[in-house]
Amino acid sequence: MAKTLFEKIWDAHVVDEQDGRSLLYIDRHLVHEVTSPQAFDGLRMNKRKVRRPDLTFATMDHNVPTTNRSLPIVDQTSAMQIQALERSCKEFGIQLFDINSPDQGIVHVIGPELGITLPGATIVCGDSHTSTQGAFGALAFGIGTSDVEHVLATQCIWMEKPKTFEIKIEGKRKNPHAVTAKDIILSIIKEIGTGGGVGCVFEYKGEVVSELSLEQRMTICNMSIEGGARAGLVAPDEKTFEYLRGRRYIPKNYDEYVEYWKENLKTDSGAKFDKSFTIHTDEILPQVSWGTNPAMTADVTGRVPFAQEYAKGNLEEEKAANRALQYMGLKPGTLITDITIDRVFIGSCTNSRLEDLIEASKVVKGKRISPKVQAMIVPGSQNVKRQAEEIGLDKIFKDAGFEWRESGCSMCLGMNPDILATDERCASTSNRNFEGRQGVGGRTHLVSPVMAAAASIYGHFVDVREMDLN
Amino acid sequence: MKGSVIKYEKDNIDTDVILPGPYLKIHDYNELAKHAMEGLDKDFHKKVKPGDFIVAGKNFGCGSSREHAPIALSCSGIKAVLALSFARIFYRNAVDGAFLLPIEIDENAFRDISNGDSLEIDTSENEIKNLTKNKSYKMKPFPELIGKIIAAGGLFNYKP
Repeated sequence: MAKTLFEKIWDAHVVDEQDGRSLLYIDRHLVHEVTSPQAFDGLRMNKRKVRRPDLTFATMDHNVPTTNRSLPIVDQTSAMQIQALERSCKEFGIQLFDINSPDQGIVHVIGPELGITLPGATIVCGDSHTSTQGAFGALAFGIGTSDVEHVLATQCIWMEKPKTFEIKIEGKRKNPHAVTAKDIILSIIKEIGTGGGVGCVFEYKGEVVSELSLEQRMTICNMSIEGGARAGLVAPDEKTFEYLRGRRYIPKNYDEYVEYWKENLKTDSGAKFDKSFTIHTDEILPQVSWGTNPAMTADVTGRVPFAQEYAKGNLEEEKAANRALQYMGLKPGTLITDITIDRVFIGSCTNSRLEDLIEASKVVKGKRISPKVQAMIVPGSQNVKRQAEEIGLDKIFKDAGFEWRESGCSMCLGMNPDILATDERCASTSNRNFEGRQGVGGRTHLVSPVMAAAASIYGHFVDVREMDLN
Repeated sequence: MKGSVIKYEKDNIDTDVILPGPYLKIHDYNELAKHAMEGLDKDFHKKVKPGDFIVAGKNFGCGSSREHAPIALSCSGIKAVLALSFARIFYRNAVDGAFLLPIEIDENAFRDISNGDSLEIDTSENEIKNLTKNKSYKMKPFPELIGKIIAAGGLFNYKP
């Protein structure tokens, strides 16, 4: 029977089936400091060991400071969580990339970077953006702390088989430097809604997907969860195999794996998906979110909508839009390009990799940021930071007035000192514009790295298609 | 199971408003409870009573995988969330730790139940009685395994 890529990976990992659920084997477990302490406590309390410490990797990213790492951490509760992870990794024999490691970084950035993420693998992490790693053709999804404990103890997880949802990304982008992977995924979420993929695994397909680099595919898969799907997949291809070749944790007999992956990791022709959605990239423009969930997004050429117009007759949506407009301090009818900003954040597991920084640097090079704007770059990992510095990106950004920080999740979720003040408005390359996400009363506009960079120069949003980005 | 309703007529109530990020550093569950729903409703901790239910719209608990969200609700006294639908990770976290019951209701029940109504929930009959309005509604039955995990008191007490 013809199978989808997801079904093939799923079937290869089912250990047992009961009561309509499957016990799934997990190939890689990534751990960070925030969702793991109670899981390790649970192991200790029940005198359990970590079943496969060799398949478990840890780093600290959520609440690490992004300023000078040689100084002690001021926030004591953060320091305690970081120390707790150090202790647990030592006690249970888990490889840790700690705060001073040259490989430290956002867990979903370092997984692929170190070759921990592999095609066809099942990967979990106590973090909803684990979906990022689906870009390599892995079934990667976020779990809560109880499941972290369960996987640490058993290397397995109980799952109900998700439904399959193909997302076809068709057409041809006229200006791929201005209309980025971020704009594609925001446009998809705008159409299907934040709950559109609930209970499903996305597979992104189509001509555009094969043209995208692995880093761009990661941006798309990253925000699958914002469309309600726990995981998003792209079938691996030559680009995938070449990206991973030579990285530290890939298997020794890598070429044999590649042969197996080529043979097995694709959706068979004639395989049926439970749901399907097609988006034409010819029509996609740079996107800017105006509301408090990622589906509340507009074209850069558009206006902030009236609640009624946005809701199209749905009363709940209208209420939500009114509340969002109030929270965001926006007047309906305002041109998106008339929205002025106070802060710029380029970073997060969505958009903090080398290509993101290269693209943003093209906008910024030789210019100065607006005197009204405070802007920062938070590279996704220490490796990204070093590579960027080798090609002089740090200098370009610093000359323009940006702060050049150490790697971590930073202002994406406001767990460390990098937060917005109340009413501050931010052009952010992160993934969630929820109320209070970047700081109490902070206002988040989700955009691509080039859009964020352009906004930093002008102090308001601009249509990057009008800029020279080559 | 009896309790009264705190209703939010809102879809997409995300885990960032259920428990804002800065509190994820807190290890003490009772301390977490003080910040439940803080991002949406600052007065929640003053009005919630042990045994209360939350009633909400679609896609409750979307966003981050933080298990702190159902834990904070549970420790503040919430026994069940009745919503039109749930984000999957929240649903799973709620069940795994037996923190609270994630109960799916239909549009009719959602519209009918008001803030402050007194409800009696009988999961064995899949029935929700509205004692204030003298009406009853059907809840969506739990899938078989979920029902067993809930009955066992969470994932770690469940023996296949």
